Amino acid sequence: MAKVSRKLQTLIDDGLFDRLPPTFAAYSFDRIEDWKKLFPAERGYFERLFGMLARSDNQAVERLFAPLRAVEAKMGVDRRTWSTREFTLEHVDFLQRNRHLAEWRQVIADIFGRIDPLLDAEVARRGRPRLVVVVSPSELPMGPDRMWRRLQGKGKLVNLALDESDAPEDYLARMFSGAPRAARAAALFDRFGATRTQDPYDAWVVEAEDSLHRLAESISGWTGLSYGRLAELREILMEQVNAMVTREQIPGPRQLGERLQRMNPGALKRAAGGDPALRDFLQSVLLNGNGTLLINNTFVEWAAVQAIRRARPALVCVAFGIRNKVKPFSSLLIYSDQEETNPIPTQADMLGSYVDLEIFYEYVWRECEKYAEYRRNTAYLFVGEGMDALLAIGPADFPLLQADKPIRLEEVFATAAQWLSI
Amino acid sequence: MFSLSKRQFLRLSGLAIADRLLPWRLRAQEPEPRAEGDLKIILVTFGGGVRYAETFAPEGLRNIPRLRALRSEGRFFKTCINSGVLSHYNSTSSIVTGNWQRVDDFGFGRAASPTLFERYRKASGAGPTDAWAICTNKSFATMGAGRSRDFGEPFGANVVLPKQLLLEAVSGVIARAPAAGVADRANVLRRLENILNAGYEGIGWTIFEGGRRLDRQVKDTLTRSLVEYIHGPEAPSSGDELTFFVAREVMREFAPRLMLVNFWDMDVAHWGAYSLYLQAIAKTDRLCGMLWDEAQTNPAYKGRTLMLTLPELGRDGDADTANGFLNHRSGDPSCRNTWMLALGAGAAKGETDRPIAHVDICATAAELLGVKLGETAGRPIAELI
Repeated sequence: MAKVSRKLQTLIDDGLFDRLPPTFAAYSFDRIEDWKKLFPAERGYFERLFGMLARSDNQAVERLFAPLRAVEAKMGVDRRTWSTREFTLEHVDFLQRNRHLAEWRQVIADIFGRIDPLLDAEVARRGRPRLVVVVSPSELPMGPDRMWRRLQGKGKLVNLALDESDAPEDYLARMFSGAPRAARAAALFDRFGATRTQDPYDAWVVEAEDSLHRLAESISGWTGLSYGRLAELREILMEQVNAMVTREQIPGPRQLGERLQRMNPGALKRAAGGDPALRDFLQSVLLNGNGTLLINNTFVEWAAVQAIRRARPALVCVAFGIRNKVKPFSSLLIYSDQEETNPIPTQADMLGSYVDLEIFYEYVWRECEKYAEYRRNTAYLFVGEGMDALLAIGPADFPLLQADKPIRLEEVFATAAQWLSI
Repeated sequence: MFSLSKRQFLRLSGLAIADRLLPWRLRAQEPEPRAEGDLKIILVTFGGGVRYAETFAPEGLRNIPRLRALRSEGRFFKTCINSGVLSHYNSTSSIVTGNWQRVDDFGFGRAASPTLFERYRKASGAGPTDAWAICTNKSFATMGAGRSRDFGEPFGANVVLPKQLLLEAVSGVIARAPAAGVADRANVLRRLENILNAGYEGIGWTIFEGGRRLDRQVKDTLTRSLVEYIHGPEAPSSGDELTFFVAREVMREFAPRLMLVNFWDMDVAHWGAYSLYLQAIAKTDRLCGMLWDEAQTNPAYKGRTLMLTLPELGRDGDADTANGFLNHRSGDPSCRNTWMLALGAGAAKGETDRPIAHVDICATAAELLGVKLGETAGRPIAELI
């Protein structure tokens, strides 16, 4: 067991986990086992969760978990067959194939349905303004009226005052730093990061290429991930996975999953800068099997969603790109580099990217709205690079929602900075 | 859509095998002994999983123009529930066995109970060409028979995995000549030829015993047909197109009484590209329509075929924590609540509101084929009996 916080260790030593139902205890133990791989927000959550359970009246805790104990009994789970100190792939397998899985899921959901509002109330009391900016690439062949259609009813299209003399390549610089690129002004996440040097996970920049990273003055105080800049790591991982799948006769996905978890190329360490939490984050994002190694926007969406879920940053800047068309045959060979294996020239898929992003905008917004940290105090800006309008969603006091005339990009920056108190 | 050359591919390849190896009297034109009645059943799955939201929900109808149009010609079951394990193998295995299967998720084990194929063939004495499973999902090699000792492979379906056959060929080309790439059709052809020479058993086909004995003439025939296939003007670019192509040829040559067609391209959703997922759904819709067209025009099927089309599972809802359409393990309603469209013989036009379940499909098909299932989780669907 790695060192957890003193607070949590005291609860463990006092036998809290031994009093919890085995499946709940095992899962919880597994989550906190690698304490150094957890982000501060995750550590805080577990301390609050188990602190609350420890403080609560024993009978109330028993009542809370009684339905779970009943389902566990039906499933054949007890302390003799289930260690409460580890949660293995065999455990996952057992649960997935158990005929009472649906019931088990439901009682777990019910338990959290009762716990989370209490924990959320604690979070909400410490609420502060947050900002999420989602940038779409300029190549998308749509105007503001056809962008963000899944979200338009939730916010307001804010017209932007663009001058013909403004250089298109300065669009993002003016919005994110309040000045053209040549001015080399500090970007929003730089400024925010300067106030948060102890917690670089409170501001994230996740993007397909590196247009936002290029605006940065420094790399401290915020966390940045660029699909483009991770090319070396992605190639190494793809090569290793491909070799594993084709040469090693791995019998099944479960065994593959175990091998993937053990992969540790130097490039991963270099990409994460020796930070164990970020290294673990990157590894799980890239190797979760959901196309993050293969498709830039899938990486951006999944990394952003995971960052929100796990690190709960106050500032999230997301920039999507255009994905390439999938070449004939290449869909059969998941971990082959289609650029190498297929000489057909690579083509950008503008329309496909547009369709892909429509749902990803919603998923990023939805992910935030699941958590008390974001609800009622988060402003969202959906921006199309070069576009003369943006979609703003947020609390009624977010100033851009009151805009009654076109505003300049520098004003968007100023409003965002003011919202974040920087 | 498909050229004659591709028809010839199958005709001259997989089907030539039967021509050579089966006594002429066992071929489709001279049907082998069967149970009473001549109703044929085709089970078609939207394998990989598809949500209501992208199919029969109002906003999804644009993705399925053929099924949308066919809905009024058959019986539409609004709620068909998958209460089992939400993996591909277990889902489809539950459909063909009538019991919720909880075996290995990736096809490394067989169903715990007999399949409809086995029960039908054992009960009726039908021969090996009367039950087929043609599956894009390459982990479905064991879908034709369960592990029950009273049944098993001798009574199972012929399982054809067209995508796996192609995959082996494409992989081989890449491994051997990376510079040339997979677009080099000559390379693909050479690799396919090698597969044939090595014996394709276990690669693309899990076919009945007779299929293992390829003689030189059959191999030559296969090779010739592969040339046509690879160089054909509209060579399929996806596994599902190839699956349709094989299924149609099997219908034309063997006219099996029982057939499972598993489309699967829509599982590309795991890649996170919503547009590719929608394209795959639209393609499956088109292929389902073409399969139905075949059943309407092929004399062996016309007027005597019941085609049941359903998703093997849904996919996670947008509000779900597991990242929406990308996955299908959450167990939320979007994942479990699907639909079924019954077309053809015995399917009175109309819609059914009451929920049915995936396991009911096997029970229904068994009843229609005159097969006694014994104790199963599924119950025959009254509207189709």
